[in-house]
Amino acid sequence: MHDRVDTSQAGPEKAGSSVPRETVPGPHHAPPPVSPLAVERVLRHVRKPGRYAGGEWNSAVKDWASIPLKWCLAYPDLYEIGMSNLGLRILYEVLNDRPDRLAERCYAPGVDFQARLRSDGLPLWSIETRRPLREFDVLGVSLGYELTYTNLLDMLQLGGLALDAAARTDAEPLVIAGGSCVLNPEPVADFLDAVVLGEGEDVVLEISDVLEGLGWHRRPDRTPAGRGRKSSGPGPRRTEALRALARIPGVYVPSFYRPSYAPGGALAGLEALDPAAPSRVVARIAADFETSVRGIRQLVPNLAIVFDRAQLEVMRGCTRGCRFCQAGMSYRPVRERDPQVAVAAAGAILDATGYEELGLTSLSAADYTYIKEVASSLRARWPDVTISLPSTRVDAFTVELIDAAAPGGRRGGFTLAPEAGSQRLRDVINKGVSDEEIERCADLVFGNGWNSLKLYFMIGLPGETMDDVLAIAGISRRALQAGRHHLGAKATVKASISTFVPKVATPFVWAGQDSTDEIGAKVAALRKAIHGRGLELRWTDPRISILEAALGRGDRRLAAVIRKAWQKGTRFDAWDEHFRFDAWQEAFAEEGLDPAWYAQRDIPPDEPLPWGHLSCGISDGFLASDYERAMRERTLADCHWGACPECGVAEATGFRCRTGEDGPRRLLPSKRAAGRTAASEPSRGGTP
Amino acid sequence: MSESKQRWRLVFARDEEARYLSHLDASHLWERAMRRGQVPVAMSEGFSPRPRLVFAAPLPLGMLAEHELADLFVSRRLTRREMRGCLEAGMPRGFRLIDLRDEWVGAPALATELVAADYRLTLLGVDEDRLHPAAEALLRAESLPRERRREKKVTAYDLRPLLLALQTRAAEAAGLDRGQPAAGIWMRLRHSQRQGSGRPEEVVAALADHLGLRVEAFEQQETEKPKGEEDGEVRPSERTFAPSIEPATAALLEMVRPVRERLWLDGEAPVDATGPEP
Repeated sequence: MHDRVDTSQAGPEKAGSSVPRETVPGPHHAPPPVSPLAVERVLRHVRKPGRYAGGEWNSAVKDWASIPLKWCLAYPDLYEIGMSNLGLRILYEVLNDRPDRLAERCYAPGVDFQARLRSDGLPLWSIETRRPLREFDVLGVSLGYELTYTNLLDMLQLGGLALDAAARTDAEPLVIAGGSCVLNPEPVADFLDAVVLGEGEDVVLEISDVLEGLGWHRRPDRTPAGRGRKSSGPGPRRTEALRALARIPGVYVPSFYRPSYAPGGALAGLEALDPAAPSRVVARIAADFETSVRGIRQLVPNLAIVFDRAQLEVMRGCTRGCRFCQAGMSYRPVRERDPQVAVAAAGAILDATGYEELGLTSLSAADYTYIKEVASSLRARWPDVTISLPSTRVDAFTVELIDAAAPGGRRGGFTLAPEAGSQRLRDVINKGVSDEEIERCADLVFGNGWNSLKLYFMIGLPGETMDDVLAIAGISRRALQAGRHHLGAKATVKASISTFVPKVATPFVWAGQDSTDEIGAKVAALRKAIHGRGLELRWTDPRISILEAALGRGDRRLAAVIRKAWQKGTRFDAWDEHFRFDAWQEAFAEEGLDPAWYAQRDIPPDEPLPWGHLSCGISDGFLASDYERAMRERTLADCHWGACPECGVAEATGFRCRTGEDGPRRLLPSKRAAGRTAASEPSRGGTP
Repeated sequence: MSESKQRWRLVFARDEEARYLSHLDASHLWERAMRRGQVPVAMSEGFSPRPRLVFAAPLPLGMLAEHELADLFVSRRLTRREMRGCLEAGMPRGFRLIDLRDEWVGAPALATELVAADYRLTLLGVDEDRLHPAAEALLRAESLPRERRREKKVTAYDLRPLLLALQTRAAEAAGLDRGQPAAGIWMRLRHSQRQGSGRPEEVVAALADHLGLRVEAFEQQETEKPKGEEDGEVRPSERTFAPSIEPATAALLEMVRPVRERLWLDGEAPVDATGPEP
């Protein structure tokens, strides 16, 4: 009976789903899956049960008894979001390509699904073999967005794990987080056993090998008898495993450090508690990005997801240096895929998935040196495949590229991101684009058959005045004029406004957010200025931005706030229908903390930062000097072509960036090609 | 549009792995499967051409199936062996190809040829001894006036002419709690574009009424869309095999493991039969 799920899901071996079958002899830990009848009785009561049912093309269903080390990759948002994440698709393949490793998946349970699990007394199960999360050796958590933290707590609790890492017994999995949020994991540090900084492709295998070497999968407490014991807190096996993990470059074990706070609330110091804890942890990068592609047999979902297409990352990182953009800073050094490798990989991905659309992803697709030749060679070989180029770079070249990529295709909306309305403020944020360029793009977009243009802006940027805000209306109106010229009354311009969020690892991390009143006044001014036929204004809830900033710049004291807010029932905080700011405010107040202190305060340059011991490679000295430059309204040239601004990545990682004159941005291993690797988290962390 | 040179009739089963697909999602999966297998599928006419793969009858979400039918039009003649190779190379997980027949391209549309469908399912909350007389009573009735709800619209109809056969059986034991009353049920329902189609959950509701038990109500499920994301496709609401009642007021009669055993085409099945062939 218990084997039913395994055998039915494995089925006969099929091409395309050809994940290698394991050869390592068992027997390893193989607890029974949740009973099929119990699963059925839950799934028939929930919305979109396909989210939890599995059976996707290229999903790997392996035999537990013959595999020592087992991961569950957990994504704390709905299936539709998590399945769109390229990083997860890559790590899933990297782990499952190894016959002695196994990776299953779990996404945040929808509100109806978790209610049903609780009422039926069932644990949250993994999608592939429907086993409770607590049965795995490692729970790999992808943290790409601060407002998913409450969902993480739901997943831990429903999965049968203690919320506090300090309370977990040897029987429970190690909870290891990665993704762009972990550049400051401190607010969730209490819930995590370990954190991987940077790119994950190589380090997941290193972690697996270390844990298998220690016999973590054979830890004795997992017998039913051991589980019954009321032990609390880490046993010797767990502590031993954490020490070993802390020695892997890029891995941070929060429990080996203890922060202290000054009377005003700022960090006073950080004490290392274990000899295995390094004083500084530097993010990993994937060294062979240019010449090898991982993530070929990408998961193909069984229901429509947000980015329902195959994805090929053509470039990682960005040299443009926009000062608000976390992804642009933290994925340096910039690496470009060899064009032949890219085209071959694209073919392999399309063959392996059957997808009808391929996204060439990067933070700025138009900056990829070979974008034209790769895109046109893909079009020639797969004329019926749609090639999409997600990019927010504002220039004529980008418009031409996208135009060529969709010949005669659907011409719905076109998106450009000027980010700020005035030239002055665009210089402050180092978004090197002029009014003329924006107008020229609008002219090209409408002239090439699109009838709607969406413009992304931020308000509340450092040094912003009301004139800068009103310039958003001016540029939107001029874009609409270009549209009217080509299309008459059919043209529409949508200005989409979000509130600036200071991000860790950017020059603007020290800048405070505007107060809610200031944001309110700015939105009101824009509502007055942007109206009329063909003009549309949309803005995101500024209270969501406060929470993003507070959790993004927070310290370990926020763990109690997150837990309180979660106990008050917050979850899916990024979803309008679930967002409950009042509950968050109460949670902050009950802990004696103020979200405004975290979000809206200008942090003094000499104050120690809660995440100061963690580095993506960019030096704090560079970030601080670039912030100063911003306040003097001075721009910094794209360092692919301009002089090296010495951001610190080369020193920290041991790789020298290749500049424009050298040719493409290839990684040159310098004397000590230190091990650093890449969690290919696509651009979730910030708007490039 | 590409010309259809050949029409293949696919007979296939749907197993657990593909069970929770909506009809629309399943169509999408098949399209990708045909790309993977490089099936030279013919495309429909119109502004946005679609692959010409036509299913006989949408299978509700949550239902397993053992003998479904679809017609696949291809733009180039293939041997049976080639066709099978193409299909099986990319077949979505959870679907099994049972048979493949070369049909005349000009034959009538599959959906118009359907006359009946056989279903079997397990009922929790009643045993066979108690269920059997209720089934007999339904079959003896001259008419079974019932209501069918779709969103807010309520239509009155007679279930009896749609019910061609009904049998009770011992429950399929797998996974059931010992001591919990359970019974199996098998039915043949009319499935016809002209004469109407019966639904297994409506027969179960009629049985529940006869037994004085409550049964789970069914509703249209609305699809939701992630906030702030405009890339996701909006899907129309679809009928699913999912009840709407919250667990606290849960039905006393519960349906599990619904299976559509077979679709019958005109001329294939004795439509007036009172039961399946042994």
